[in-house]
Amino acid sequence: MIFRSEASRGYTLSAPATAYVGFLVAAPLVILIAYSFWTQTYVTLDKTPTLKNYSDAFADPLVRHLMLRSIWIAGAVTVVTVALAYPIAYFIAMKARKKTIWLLLITIPFWSSYLLRVFAWKLILGFNGVMNSALMMLGLIDEPLDFLLYNEFAVVLTLAHAWAPFAILPIYVSLQKIDPSLLEAATDLGNSPLQRFMRVTLPLTIPGIIAACLIIFIPTVGDYVTPALVGGSDGKMIANLIQVQFGAANNWPLGATLSLIAMLSVGFVAIVFVITATQIGRRIR
Amino acid sequence: MTVNNIIELRGVEKRYGTFLAASGINLDLKEGEFFSLLGPSGCGKTTVLRMIAGFQEPTKGTVLIDGQDMEGVPANNRPTNMVFQSYAIFPHLNVGNNVAYGLRGKAPKAEIEQRVAEALEMVELGGLQDRGASELSGGQRQRVALARALIMRPKVLLLDEPLSALDKKLREQMQFEMRNLQQSLGITFVMVTHDQYEAMTMSDRIGVMFNGRLKQVDTPTTLYARPCDQQVASFIGEMNILPSKLLGETGNMLSIDAAAFGRIEIERNPNVATSSKDMNIGIRPEQLEIAAEKPEDYPSTVQGTVSNVAFYGENIHYHIQVAGAEKPISVSVPNYFHTVDFKRGDAVWLGLQGASVIDLGTDIE
Repeated sequence: MIFRSEASRGYTLSAPATAYVGFLVAAPLVILIAYSFWTQTYVTLDKTPTLKNYSDAFADPLVRHLMLRSIWIAGAVTVVTVALAYPIAYFIAMKARKKTIWLLLITIPFWSSYLLRVFAWKLILGFNGVMNSALMMLGLIDEPLDFLLYNEFAVVLTLAHAWAPFAILPIYVSLQKIDPSLLEAATDLGNSPLQRFMRVTLPLTIPGIIAACLIIFIPTVGDYVTPALVGGSDGKMIANLIQVQFGAANNWPLGATLSLIAMLSVGFVAIVFVITATQIGRRIR
Repeated sequence: MTVNNIIELRGVEKRYGTFLAASGINLDLKEGEFFSLLGPSGCGKTTVLRMIAGFQEPTKGTVLIDGQDMEGVPANNRPTNMVFQSYAIFPHLNVGNNVAYGLRGKAPKAEIEQRVAEALEMVELGGLQDRGASELSGGQRQRVALARALIMRPKVLLLDEPLSALDKKLREQMQFEMRNLQQSLGITFVMVTHDQYEAMTMSDRIGVMFNGRLKQVDTPTTLYARPCDQQVASFIGEMNILPSKLLGETGNMLSIDAAAFGRIEIERNPNVATSSKDMNIGIRPEQLEIAAEKPEDYPSTVQGTVSNVAFYGENIHYHIQVAGAEKPISVSVPNYFHTVDFKRGDAVWLGLQGASVIDLGTDIE
């Protein structure tokens, strides 16, 4: 036998995954870090290590502004999505009879491409879009509303819709796991339905809520398709700036630096959030 | 001194669609008694308990607790507390917070702390307030569930198969502990169980349920000695049931032809509804005499062959095949260190006294 020990068998089995992660995640990350210490001089790359990219990025008010706005928009998307997803997940887990059908319905948006869904929102919110025409036809407004599209609101709305299933599913799973006799016990001990929700259901679904928040927050901070299409100039986010560095501006080192700064900021916010949410959960008695 | 009825069920019925989970339940529970609802699974005993707790509303009939009609009163406003079959210990709270759950916001902090300490002391978990819910053994979970319910000082404590999740040794120990606890607190306990031994060792009275109906409510000794019909007789303990013929009655005595055992005089069972010509009698296995020689002083004797022997330690069970009886007769003999020791195939005599025969009447099915 070649695979004599448990360990060698384990390594062999995990080798494909390790290679995949190594080549497609770890290696690009190392390259990215390397780039962030180099300098672009027009067409050539100066490979002398320097922190200039970092000092430039921190000094630039635009970077700070876009970074904060990205976190703010992603935070808003997360709050809106989770707040809307919770009641849906609650309904499916606790009240619905045909859970499978409901879960299937929730995944329906995935059957069309993400880009198409963003364009759909453009059609709905646009100046001559569905929303404005409908409101005008009903005589509620005289001229089209221009605050629907090309701003933060449009970005939050589009992203919240796109990410809803990702919030519903983890919350659904954590609700599904609650033993019904725990809820009866809370009632038996004198809790009203609202008290019972606050003291048993909510704390027991905190892991699901945290998962949902992270699943939505982390990717949306770095999203650039949605802000590019429906964000206008008000809705631009850090990823749009990064994209420009790797494209039109042709400044890969700065792009790499911005990426790393974004990554670390997101990581920091996520860690603070997880710790806070867990602590709040522990306080509920 | 008259004891108040703490719970009264009046014609209670519960229907799920076309399925009748419980019907015609009339029951008075006295203050301070330990009452058990006993029956096979699916007989409706848990439904009755849940209707008292308020988790289910009866389709028909009235539930009164301490004289008050409970219709429309939700479970959280009833003066009852429950120990769940799964114990339902809140996994996100430690032992202290689990026990304090029902008191939060209803009593000052210091008082809650003191009552939690007392309640834990009472169930012999003193000082374990900070223990996490996941670190508890099955027996400890059961004790936490008890403390959490009792700290509310309910008028009635409801227990849904409270011991079924424990292993045999622990179960027997908890039976005595719970009985002692109930007697020292003087609170009415209503327990649902499918375990006849559990019901018999713990309860003041037992209600036996079959197919949604309450068949008999009596003390354990009466249930054992005077069951109301065949079904109850064979559910409570072991019972040899023999089809017999009623030959005549004089006052309280019945004269019957007990098949293989011949003619015998037995006492009328007041709990039996009807006795017509074709009737059943029951004989408890420990009431039969077994001997190698024909026993004297027994009005009825019969000869048979040992077809099976089972050794239980404190008892030996024999199955005796008797001419004229369809099924072998079960005989249980205390194990007095091998004073009786029959083997399979041995010829033996069985002796029977009229006083140990139970009149089971005629089944009206």
